[in-house]
Amino acid sequence: MKGWWSCMLAVLERDLRAECRAKERLGPMAFFLASTLLVFCFSLGPSVAGLDGAGAGVLWSSFVLASVLGLNRSFAEERENACLDALLLAPADRGAVFTGKMLANFAALACIQAAALPAFAVLFNLDLGRVWLRLLGVFLLGGAALSAVGTLFAALSSSLRLRETLLPVLLLPVAVPVLIAATDATSVVLTGGQLGDCVSCLAVLAVAWLVFYTLAIMLIDRVLEE
Amino acid sequence: MAGGVPAVVASGLAKSYGRLWALRQVDLMVAPGSFLLITGPSGAGKSTLLGLVAGLLRPTAGELRVLAGDPGRDPAVRRRVGIVAEQPMLYEELSAAENLRFFARLYGVQAGSGRIALALERVGLLRRADSRVRTLSRGMKQRLAWARAVLHEPRLLLLDEPFSGLDQHGTELLLAQLHALRERGVTCLLATHQPQLVQELADQRLRLLDGRVVCRAGATEKLPIEPGKDRCPPAEALP
Repeated sequence: MKGWWSCMLAVLERDLRAECRAKERLGPMAFFLASTLLVFCFSLGPSVAGLDGAGAGVLWSSFVLASVLGLNRSFAEERENACLDALLLAPADRGAVFTGKMLANFAALACIQAAALPAFAVLFNLDLGRVWLRLLGVFLLGGAALSAVGTLFAALSSSLRLRETLLPVLLLPVAVPVLIAATDATSVVLTGGQLGDCVSCLAVLAVAWLVFYTLAIMLIDRVLEE
Repeated sequence: MAGGVPAVVASGLAKSYGRLWALRQVDLMVAPGSFLLITGPSGAGKSTLLGLVAGLLRPTAGELRVLAGDPGRDPAVRRRVGIVAEQPMLYEELSAAENLRFFARLYGVQAGSGRIALALERVGLLRRADSRVRTLSRGMKQRLAWARAVLHEPRLLLLDEPFSGLDQHGTELLLAQLHALRERGVTCLLATHQPQLVQELADQRLRLLDGRVVCRAGATEKLPIEPGKDRCPPAEALP
């Protein structure tokens, strides 16, 4: 078990360190997010009333599309220089490798969400003081579920020639339950509701994370080989 | 040749990629501590053979045992195998020392700064310990790949074109390390287009062509440049 944790932390640390230096994930994700929020701001109008319940959709469609950019890099950089081969040759537990990668993707998405929230509040005249803590809870749970399924599909598509095109094609249909639940929960919070009002959505997110993470741990050997 | 359980045993080993057979009916036995030199033109199946032995590829047919285990499934086998491939298998955004530290953790090696420094010194990269890999030359990356491959003190070392990109100094460093490993009883499988560099180290030689073993030779036998143009023991003649 000590080896599992050591390996998972090694992969997580490596990913975060490389990301801090190269910003290969965060750079494109942040640019995409800013562009999307601006486009929605101009099309819907800069007021909460103008959002008319669409704010949650604006946020989560931005998050999921931005995360695809980051997920594409997650295993692509392992394929470059055959680093993935080196990972597979090591006696490390592949579940630990997956978990490290998933947490790195989650961290990247959390950074994007943290940056999006104030930008969203400014663009749509939203008073964050009332809702930010509840939104954070929804973002964390939704981000965890999205990272689990996203990392699994990033690993799956990383060996394909058209991986950058195929990742969203493969991922988005499977991630629909996560997106619906996250959007509903965010909508409840944005309209002044409490977390207790969207407990079924939060439960769906928690179960989705558990199911996708378990699936990934079971399948990762097959997914990564050859 | 040293005795004991063979380091590598292959029987009827074959590998196909779709309809293309990269390796066909390879029988092989490598004794522990011996040095097998694998030659052959590009596309002959050398890298595929090493990939199978490393456990990176699964055989399409045949049986393969490496260090008495299955390299694809047994982490204990992987712990005792090191590889230098054509690509360096290094992270470009990490420094040389960070790369070694990362792989040491994956292999469960207690790698303090002293051990990392020693590994870098052996390949002449101590001064570049904190340089990011992307700033290193091709030859430096190859030397660092060597340091990564032997950091966990493997019992079986797989080398795929280890001299590519190396200058004379780098080649000499690598040869000296190979001699040292040979003396310590490490089994080596080396595939190269430059067999003259390691002729004296090899005690078994094998030539592949179109995925088949076309020629085998022992330490004292001459391996012809072109199969059929010189004395070439039949492939079935040696174990």
